[in-house]
Amino acid sequence: MGLRASIALGAVQSIHVLVVEVPGWGATRMRVEAELARRGWTAARSPADADVLLVCGVPGKKLESVCARIWSQLPGPRARVAVHNASDVASGLEKAAAELLDEGRQQGDARTRSHQPVEASDEIEHVGHGGSEESAEHSKPMDMDMDAEMDMSMDMDMPMPGGIPLASGGPDRDGLEMDVLHVALGPVLPHWPAGLVVHCALQGDVIVSAEPDVLPAALQPNNDGPIGNNSRSAHDERRSTVARLSDAAVQVLALAGWSYAAGRARRIRDEVAAGTALVDVAADLDSLARSVSRSWLLRWALNGITVGDAFANTGEGAGRHEPETVRGRLIGWLDEARRIARYNTEAYESPDNPELQRSLLDAIPQLLSGTDVATARLIVASLAIQTAQIAQAREPRT
Amino acid sequence: MTDAAGTNPAWALLAPVVLGLLALAAAALNGILVARAEGRTLRSGAAAPVFEVARLMRQRRRTTVAADVLLWRIGCSGLVVVALLKTAVIPVGPWVLADIPVAIVWFNAMDVMVWAVVWLIGWGANSAYSLIGGYRFLAQAVSYELPLMFALVTPAVAAHSLRVSDVIAAQQELWFIVWMPVAFVVFCLSVVAFSSWGPFATAASGDIAGGILTEVSGVDRLLILAGRYALLTTGAAFAVALFLGGGAGPLLPDWLWTLVKTLLLLAAFVVVRHRLPEVRPDRLAEVAWMIVLPVVLLQTLIVSIVVAVRG
Repeated sequence: MGLRASIALGAVQSIHVLVVEVPGWGATRMRVEAELARRGWTAARSPADADVLLVCGVPGKKLESVCARIWSQLPGPRARVAVHNASDVASGLEKAAAELLDEGRQQGDARTRSHQPVEASDEIEHVGHGGSEESAEHSKPMDMDMDAEMDMSMDMDMPMPGGIPLASGGPDRDGLEMDVLHVALGPVLPHWPAGLVVHCALQGDVIVSAEPDVLPAALQPNNDGPIGNNSRSAHDERRSTVARLSDAAVQVLALAGWSYAAGRARRIRDEVAAGTALVDVAADLDSLARSVSRSWLLRWALNGITVGDAFANTGEGAGRHEPETVRGRLIGWLDEARRIARYNTEAYESPDNPELQRSLLDAIPQLLSGTDVATARLIVASLAIQTAQIAQAREPRT
Repeated sequence: MTDAAGTNPAWALLAPVVLGLLALAAAALNGILVARAEGRTLRSGAAAPVFEVARLMRQRRRTTVAADVLLWRIGCSGLVVVALLKTAVIPVGPWVLADIPVAIVWFNAMDVMVWAVVWLIGWGANSAYSLIGGYRFLAQAVSYELPLMFALVTPAVAAHSLRVSDVIAAQQELWFIVWMPVAFVVFCLSVVAFSSWGPFATAASGDIAGGILTEVSGVDRLLILAGRYALLTTGAAFAVALFLGGGAGPLLPDWLWTLVKTLLLLAAFVVVRHRLPEVRPDRLAEVAWMIVLPVVLLQTLIVSIVVAVRG
């Protein structure tokens, strides 16, 4: 028993937490990430990697059923926590650690849950996906964030290992026949906009077609997030803009695989969120912006990846003829954050613009088609879509 | 091997332990670098791999719908096995398990096995992200494998032998790193690449939810992560034998010099991860085939000419 207890004690020193952000709870998610870094815990990249499922905010029905599926995929010992408020984060994580240490509870959980991977169920309807009636979801593995069903136009006489129809082929970009796999990117994926789902048809790792959708929250956050609080002072506004810009930079840098720079951006973001004076982070922002714009390896890695004319109609892109690049967006954010922190200038681009966010969402199919998954991830991150506003704007209509 | 003077049965038991300790040291250094970046105490970082092992030992393994379980499990345990098989031909001071006449080919054969092993991990889970991780690794392997082969051939040409002890003996006067630096750098980059590490870790990167690691948990994940560190370690140790004069050095005994050099090189590999962005396989392919391959061929050519002229 002594050995088991000490292994368990060691295990809870580095808990991996899968964070699900509900649209509108960005500030809570940032707080969670800051708290994880402080404790030496890790943000899990997939359900298999996770000990704890932490849901930030109140998910709507669809997002809730996604969370239930993900919960069924955690290997165990496992704990599930819901956090609705940035101030609950620390206590929520404490609770999760205690639950993981509770042997009796974990054994009971292991006894009662199914040991077979969960077969595709009808919990999640396929939003924006025609002909889903026979969508034999190829789930388990992928559905963590996605449910991948093989191509649906196939004949039911074909062999179906594990109840999954085989993929059928289609011409690829080189004119050869290649299997088509239907995979939904999101809504739970590291460095991915909250609640966003992009239903993709994949050939290899190349996206043939993409159809975006947003899974909304059940209700609006009251004191968190970019919206919902109109009484903030201009000073608070600047702080939250710097935090938002650095957070956007964190996502792009992390997706570019530059963990060191992403970590620096994250630290700046967390310091601003925790109340450090803006002038105190200005020097850090300067040096980060400098090393990002100087890195030839990053320049090479991001070379030629553009967001097309998605921003052509906004103040930012107006009058420009060349499509904006992902690298340009990244450097632009860091520069803007730097300017605001140093000179107290106003934000250049207001994020509170549901029209713009909607148009960014609509630009996704065109931007992603023909790109590989890595490029697609960078493009989506560089759009920095505020999904909360889209979900909110749409809510009244439905 | 009858002709291997240094073969010692005890070393067969000790070698895996040494490999494990070096790999653990690499993981601890990685933990320290992460802790420093996140502003925690360095001590908590050094202990991180121990905690992680405890966590993964306690975690259940899992399977997925219609997984190819047999191949998947073979893949998950494969990296550690490959690393152990590589240690067989690496001399540490007077000890070596098998000083075979084709040791360099053996090492190369083992790192070609990594292709299969990583692909099986990606394939077996029956998951889109794992599969993409597998694709990425193969695309990357196509870029690094040929330069790696020529980097391995170069010291062998200079030493007139594929036996590692002969290569070390040939460096008595001058370490090979001095007159074949390109081969050394290419070899080191290839080690980082076949270990799916740092700038070459796209097969297991976050943008595809961990890629080949997406669906593995518990002991399977532990074996893969340990296997990556073990591959880095054997790669560093082999570079020491091929380019850094093996155990040559003042004062200290042979075996200690080998370990010290291996640790230093290993530390450099670990640090690289924290400094550089990832290089996507499609970008890598162009550079690897258009620039690196011709340059390393030129290196081999120059070494061959020197060897021929000197007789």
